[in-house]
Amino acid sequence: MRRIGGILLFAAVLNAQNAPSPEGVAFFEKHIRPLLADNCYGCHSAKLAKPMSGLLLDSKAGMLRGGSSGSSAIVPGKPDESLIIGAVRGTGNLKMPPGKKLEPQEIENLVEWIRMGAPDPRTEGAALPISSYDWEKARQHWAFHPVQDPQPPRAPAEWDRSAIDEFIKAKLDEKKLIPQPHASKLALIRRATYDLIGLPPTPEEVDAFLKDTSPKAFEKVVDRLLASQQYGERWGRHWLDVVRYADTAGDNADFPVPSMYRYRNWVIAAFNSDKPYDEFVREQIAGDILASRDDMASKNIEQWQQDLIATGYLANARRFGSRAAEFHLTIDDIIDNLGKGILGLTVGCARCHDHKFDPIPTTDYYGLYGIFKSTRYAHAGTEIYPHTYGFAALNPDKANELKYYEIELSGLDNRIEDIKAGRIKFATLEERRKAEQENQQRLKKLSAEYPYLLKAYAVSEGKPADARILVRGEPQTLGPAAPRGFLTVLGGQKLPPEEKGSGRLELAGWLTDLKNPLTARVMVNRIWLGHFGQGIVATPDDFGTRGEAPSNPELLDWLASRFLESGWSVKKMHRLIMLSRTYQMASGDHPQNALKDPKNIYLWRFNRRRLDAEEIRDSLLAVSGNLDPAPGGQQPFPPEMGWKYTQHKPFVGAEGDYDTNQRSVYLMQQRIRRQPFLDLFDGSDPNAETGVRPVTTTALQALYTMNDPFFHRQAESVVGRVMAQATDAERMRYAFRLLYGRAPAADEARESRQFLDRVRHDLEGSTVAEDQRNRQAWASLMRVLLSSNEFLTLD
Amino acid sequence: MNRRHMVRSLFLGSSMFPALLGELLAKESAPGVANPLAPKAPHFAGTAKRVIFIYLSGGMSHVDSFDPKPKLSEYQREGKTREGGGKALGSPWPSKPHGQSGIEVTDLFPNIAECVDDLCIVRSMRGDHNDHFQATLGIHTGSVTFKRPSVGSWVTYGLGTENQNLPCYVVLAPDLPYAGSQVWSSDFLPGVFSGTRMSSGPEPVPDLNRRAPVAAMQKDELSLLERFNRKHQRQHPGDPMLEARIKSYETAFGMQMTMPQVLDLSKETDATLALYGTERGSTAGFGWQCLVARRMMERGVRFVELIDVGSSKNWDAHGDIHTHAPLARAIDQPIAGLLADLKSRGLLQDTLVAFTTEFGRSPGPEGEMGRGHYNRAYSSWLAGGGVKGGVVYGKTDEFGAKIAEKECHVHDFHATILHCLGFDHTKLTFRHAGRDYRLTDVAGNVVQEILA
Repeated sequence: MRRIGGILLFAAVLNAQNAPSPEGVAFFEKHIRPLLADNCYGCHSAKLAKPMSGLLLDSKAGMLRGGSSGSSAIVPGKPDESLIIGAVRGTGNLKMPPGKKLEPQEIENLVEWIRMGAPDPRTEGAALPISSYDWEKARQHWAFHPVQDPQPPRAPAEWDRSAIDEFIKAKLDEKKLIPQPHASKLALIRRATYDLIGLPPTPEEVDAFLKDTSPKAFEKVVDRLLASQQYGERWGRHWLDVVRYADTAGDNADFPVPSMYRYRNWVIAAFNSDKPYDEFVREQIAGDILASRDDMASKNIEQWQQDLIATGYLANARRFGSRAAEFHLTIDDIIDNLGKGILGLTVGCARCHDHKFDPIPTTDYYGLYGIFKSTRYAHAGTEIYPHTYGFAALNPDKANELKYYEIELSGLDNRIEDIKAGRIKFATLEERRKAEQENQQRLKKLSAEYPYLLKAYAVSEGKPADARILVRGEPQTLGPAAPRGFLTVLGGQKLPPEEKGSGRLELAGWLTDLKNPLTARVMVNRIWLGHFGQGIVATPDDFGTRGEAPSNPELLDWLASRFLESGWSVKKMHRLIMLSRTYQMASGDHPQNALKDPKNIYLWRFNRRRLDAEEIRDSLLAVSGNLDPAPGGQQPFPPEMGWKYTQHKPFVGAEGDYDTNQRSVYLMQQRIRRQPFLDLFDGSDPNAETGVRPVTTTALQALYTMNDPFFHRQAESVVGRVMAQATDAERMRYAFRLLYGRAPAADEARESRQFLDRVRHDLEGSTVAEDQRNRQAWASLMRVLLSSNEFLTLD
Repeated sequence: MNRRHMVRSLFLGSSMFPALLGELLAKESAPGVANPLAPKAPHFAGTAKRVIFIYLSGGMSHVDSFDPKPKLSEYQREGKTREGGGKALGSPWPSKPHGQSGIEVTDLFPNIAECVDDLCIVRSMRGDHNDHFQATLGIHTGSVTFKRPSVGSWVTYGLGTENQNLPCYVVLAPDLPYAGSQVWSSDFLPGVFSGTRMSSGPEPVPDLNRRAPVAAMQKDELSLLERFNRKHQRQHPGDPMLEARIKSYETAFGMQMTMPQVLDLSKETDATLALYGTERGSTAGFGWQCLVARRMMERGVRFVELIDVGSSKNWDAHGDIHTHAPLARAIDQPIAGLLADLKSRGLLQDTLVAFTTEFGRSPGPEGEMGRGHYNRAYSSWLAGGGVKGGVVYGKTDEFGAKIAEKECHVHDFHATILHCLGFDHTKLTFRHAGRDYRLTDVAGNVVQEILA
């Protein structure tokens, strides 16, 4: 509003003070008005119901204000900065008028007119407020309201222990829905264990909980799980979905990023240590700036390193192309991710035009863009410039050494490319060949002596400057500069003029300001979603007008208030939610409820869910006894100095994608080729923010449990554990307890025994050695149990 | 044995009624379970029911194939500079008119040339990017920047599939193309609409082959699994997800049985094999891919993509345009054979065959004999499925450097494919991240003129 208002004001001033000269008006009337009328008004007139791109060329104000791109059509006195000139010349992607080119003389007239200061006598047709918003109305949208701390309604006994229950029960009563009873203790411990650590409870853990009749029994389970290392491995993964984590850069050759794992492990550690969410966000956006203050490197080296590593969030943005020319897309990816991930707003939609549904003008988008353009990003390597640079040295003493090699190696990339492209001229071919050879030799020498220093894929401060708007998102068409700042609808603060940095620190502060109504709401909604399978806002990445309204707005705000009150503690939020009656409901059916609320929006039951990809794989490893609990380290990529990836021969992980028995969160995730197992079971997309994973049920998934060698191996390992029991009856009992946490029912035991007999019979006369047949039969039974809905779904 | 098993056992082992089997099984879907792959009606009656999408990786030259430019040779001979700048490189392949339509194409694809009366050649293709990775994504997804669902995913999302025992969208690609599996990814569309890459190896789809040592054992496993799952379901009523998973095992078993039949070419006649230029017993080469594609089409697969080569040693003829020759030889007869075979079986009339590449190649030389990337003008063609045969759409200038008439942007190409299948491309949308996305973004015009 401010900017747009400014321009309107500017136009008015222009009118009053500089009434156009008679010569100027004559020029306009003779050359410009007819030209505009003949070529432009057809699409860009206030007389039209829907002028194209919201641009009006039949009024002075309209021309100055511009269309939905956020840039004015003309900059008086500056033809080369005027969009309209680029468009009629057809130099960029924006070509006007469509399908026609103006005569050279007409273009010259237009240029001349703008050079004269665009004298324009038209006073009619004030610009329509198409690209601006009705801010008063826009702020009415629920998500922009300050977070409230509503009083929970009163609820009957059993529902009065937690405010969560009181809010939920009131809604259920209002909708005349009957809540499900308490879940069984077995269902509850399975639910809690998977929810918090992504693994099945062991039989011993189940037993201990079933035996514990104290009122604190469940609380003890929750606390035990929250304190385990595995907790971060599960909840860190939720965050990695949001930030579209990958171990490769995503450029045309998909260069590997060996140090990316540090960020992944930083996320896991942050969840484990219950790092306050505001700090968590601040460090990811501005960790490098935080680290540079107070001489931290010498005071607390570990903290300093961690802060640098945290900015891997920004560095991990997707790369495009084979060189560096398409870096604007990387910044777009950052803004898109930050918008959806932290603010729950599709800010990325304002890249090419003002957001069509939410009050986010393009100028806001480029206000953020300038901040990220003023930042330097580690370069992971691309086909044309394969050597890395801009990484953060994690050993301050070695920073200069790292920089030396980065500058030398990337400098050689540049020189070699310049020679190849003919940008460096040589008198003779021989000289050129010699120069190339020398450079190659130097490259070889440096590669051979290259010290593999500790480093992080991170960002640092660049040259601070406001960015010019890329009209329609195209870097060839530059509009005016947008002052760096934050979203207008949430305050619209601009960076102070004395600001010396990129503005990331201020952005981090603005995001985590207690008054920012979105950050806390979005995160508590994600936590809620992680427990219930659906958010209070069903569209966790879109709290805008196109997203779903909250099913229980008071509850959302109450939770957000508690979150803020607790100092942004994620673990406290888990406790609060899990100790509620609502969380402990059974997942059973209720036909009448199902008619009224088939999607269970108001939570009359717990949502049954299929285990996600990581849970399936980790569970198989856990019950087979093969799970390697050690935290994952760096991926076993080939050493950096040997990288020669191109778009023709991109990096592709070795056969089996560096298979490991560690938890699935540590699997190598590549951008141009999905990890096949995770892909099969709806793992998150390493190219795009994933707030909710879609769940599919496919025949290919069934084929996996029928025939996959990994699955078969785990089943055979389960047999190894089962056979250690003395009798078949004990074996059966052990297997059911291991997999399902319960003993087999009589009919299940009987059917299993008959099955074993049948399979042993099937194997008679087969190639399977006689002494292996019993074991094979048991493996067969284990595959059945591991493929079952009871194993793969959670009540 | 339920009815499904009955149906299967009736038709198993018989290659006579593959389509019928698929149809019988497709119509059975569990009550209360919305099967996203069930056949769906498009917006209006389309002229095509299924698609074979042939993609040549690396950028096939238009001026050496379907848009011959004798002027280039003339200018090269005379050492003249092209109007509009730049040298000229003539094509090593002479051209002449073919068929009743008399459309002139070069000898690069002598067999496809004989089919021109069935082709609608688009000589005015235009893409948004001049680099492989981006342009490859562009021709598949409409977007050269951010990842989007593939055209095959959109088609199967819109139409479902006719045979539940086979994947709805099959990709036959011996090597990974540029941008890898993103090319056939469903992206934000549900994963069931992702392309399934099949190979000619011993296990065409991962985990397809029975691993249990004897068949009876696997059957026993599936039967016990179903009993346990049914019991579990009785204790957990009213959940379609549980039912869907039980069904998925039936389908998987069907797939395990059906897929080898699709790939079993033993019942194909010598004449048919010869048509595709493939030898009995060989699973190598594009002939095999084309023949398998036809068999997929017969069995109700909705969308088959054929990619000839991967991201290297492909059509990217920077050094020498003659490298097009062996690549063309490898696909020429198979594609001509495919067209003839589809036609003789009456399948071509409702099967749309699209032939495309990520961009063309420069009319001027790169080095001595090579050609650079060229997205400003290139050629593709469509055949069957309701497009006119023996026509040329669009025109480039006399050097193949600029589109002179009727540009067909990639979005227009996609819009036209969707139109043939019965879709208004502006209405085949999916709500994602607060916005309705479509294959053609905010652009695309159906090329009405080429519709039969």
